[in-house]
Amino acid sequence: MTKSSFFASASALCLGVLLSFGAGSQANAAAKCIKGDREAPYTIGWANIYSVPTWMKQTQGTIEAEIETLKKQGLVDKLVVTDAQGDANVQIQQIQSMIDSDVDAIILIAGSSTAPARVLADACAKGIAIINFDSLVDTDQVTAKVNTDSAQWGDQAAKFLIDAIGGKGKILILNGPAGVSVSDDRRKGADAALKAHPEVTVLAETNTPYNVAPAQEAVTSLLFANSEIDGILSLGGALSAGAVLALDKQGREQVPVTGENARQFLELWKEKGLKSWATMQPNWLGAFATYTAVQALEGKDVPAFVKIPLPVIDNSNIDQYLARAADFPADGYIYSPFDEALFKKLLAEQ
Amino acid sequence: MSTVASSRQAGALYWPVQLRRNVGVRGLFAVVMAFLVAYGFLFPGLLTASGFAKFTQSWFPLALVAMAQAILMLTGGISLAIGAMVSLGAVIAATTMTGPLGVAGGAAAVALTGIGIGGATGFIVVKLRLPAIVVTLAGSFIIGGAALLILPRPGGAIPEWLSDLLAGNTPAAFVLLVLIVLLWKLYLATPLGLSLYAAGENPVGAYRSGVPVDGARVAAYAISGLLCTGAGLFVAAQTGSGDPVIGTAFTLNSIAAAVLGGIGFLGGQGTMRGALAGSLLLSLMISVMFFLGFTPVAQYVAQGLIIIGAVAIPQFRKVQQ
Repeated sequence: MTKSSFFASASALCLGVLLSFGAGSQANAAAKCIKGDREAPYTIGWANIYSVPTWMKQTQGTIEAEIETLKKQGLVDKLVVTDAQGDANVQIQQIQSMIDSDVDAIILIAGSSTAPARVLADACAKGIAIINFDSLVDTDQVTAKVNTDSAQWGDQAAKFLIDAIGGKGKILILNGPAGVSVSDDRRKGADAALKAHPEVTVLAETNTPYNVAPAQEAVTSLLFANSEIDGILSLGGALSAGAVLALDKQGREQVPVTGENARQFLELWKEKGLKSWATMQPNWLGAFATYTAVQALEGKDVPAFVKIPLPVIDNSNIDQYLARAADFPADGYIYSPFDEALFKKLLAEQ
Repeated sequence: MSTVASSRQAGALYWPVQLRRNVGVRGLFAVVMAFLVAYGFLFPGLLTASGFAKFTQSWFPLALVAMAQAILMLTGGISLAIGAMVSLGAVIAATTMTGPLGVAGGAAAVALTGIGIGGATGFIVVKLRLPAIVVTLAGSFIIGGAALLILPRPGGAIPEWLSDLLAGNTPAAFVLLVLIVLLWKLYLATPLGLSLYAAGENPVGAYRSGVPVDGARVAAYAISGLLCTGAGLFVAAQTGSGDPVIGTAFTLNSIAAAVLGGIGFLGGQGTMRGALAGSLLLSLMISVMFFLGFTPVAQYVAQGLIIIGAVAIPQFRKVQQ
């Protein structure tokens, strides 16, 4: 009895020391770029590279939702949005304008992995919090970078598929466009698992844009050439939808297929009763970047890199996703739910 | 005695002639002035040295490619390879300047590449009588591919001091632009420069009058190439690195700037100051709309309206006359 109470109090003391130590270090170590001279309510600049694709529109939607929440808390009063229309030079000019108008934070998806580095360094020197997510810039002159791990995506998808076909068989691999880093990284991530299973034969690989039609066309021609296919390792949601449609149109039996949270694919998954697995680049990365920027401005230390764990959709939870389908555009992505508690946990986990 | 008098007479004619050349673009000048005033009003920092420097830096590469496109359009040509040439200039600069060639060697490589590829394009277009639009479209794939071969992924580096010199807080870019415009004026006074307009407006008549039409057009392509890779070098310095696809948008923007500036597609029509004003308007629009708080969707619409407005105003006048 006394022993255990002693232990409890000792550990409580230890915890207290640790906590106070933690709090002390937090007060001293502000996040990168933060000078502590900015006060709420803040103005947030969202430097988008291209606003037209559905994924981008949904991402902006999560940013706007987060801004509304932060407005209610009195932390933010204004969101400034720019759209570089795909031009990295214009994005630089718009970031410069954000610096000139003295926004408190800049969140961005970069149009080039190198070009914005210098203008971001200028912003950082002015004490502007910078959170870079999705497409990242090769620079450390930002407050934090936020992304999922594309290699892990490929690895997990390959492991699921190999398991689903019983460790051996003939598969197709569907990739995004060649020479695009996300596409390359997902494919490289799948390599290790494939090498570890020599009985899995890769019949063919495709490179298409992340759209249904070209993927369907590519898979259709591969179906003519290969009468026996056991599984499809698709590294993008629209690609998976194209593959399922191609199998369907040819009257072929559906096989295990991997994918992404594209609404069309998830609905086909349910409709055709597939055995599937999907993950996602969550649109709420935008909301999380906004939240993180405000946390940094409020003097909290934030990690230089926040790796977002990949949410997984499989046959056990697909119904939960489809139940919310009506809230998302028909050509959009059904992302996992998010709230402040999740964001707090993600920041604390790093 | 009489030569002095005639040169005086020419001097007296200089300004009226220059003013008359402005007629078509007065509307554009007015719009650009209005935007400049609005920008200065919305962002008073524009009037500080560093504010002015940063603004002219974002305009500078567009000004160069507008000039590059305008020279070609004045001779009746066009280039769809402007963006690829900018990218190539940027990756050559970013891969050579920190290597054994150094800044001087790298700059020379960038300049020679521009003149060489530009001249070769001009030679193919002019001597083989092929349509410029086809040759430069094919050229854009070759040049863009070459940029990707030199630097497959964004990377490379530019010496820090050069970046600070060209794209720091001093208006070096603006000074360079003024120098380039003065050089252009000088070029127009040379035989080749004088032939430029004649070769564009009426090539057959010019040829029969003994004007070196082919030479003037090939030279225009070479100069255009030099301006493009030069713009690429500047973009590399501005961003501190090379990106093999950084120039893509410059092709369309250079045509937009030149057309806005009153340069005709058929050759021989328009002025360089018009093209420069056109590029300035394109660049100003982005910043002014930001400070006016336009949403991205409103910006798409406003951009189109401003461009149509700037081109249409002088036409209204003509129709009325």
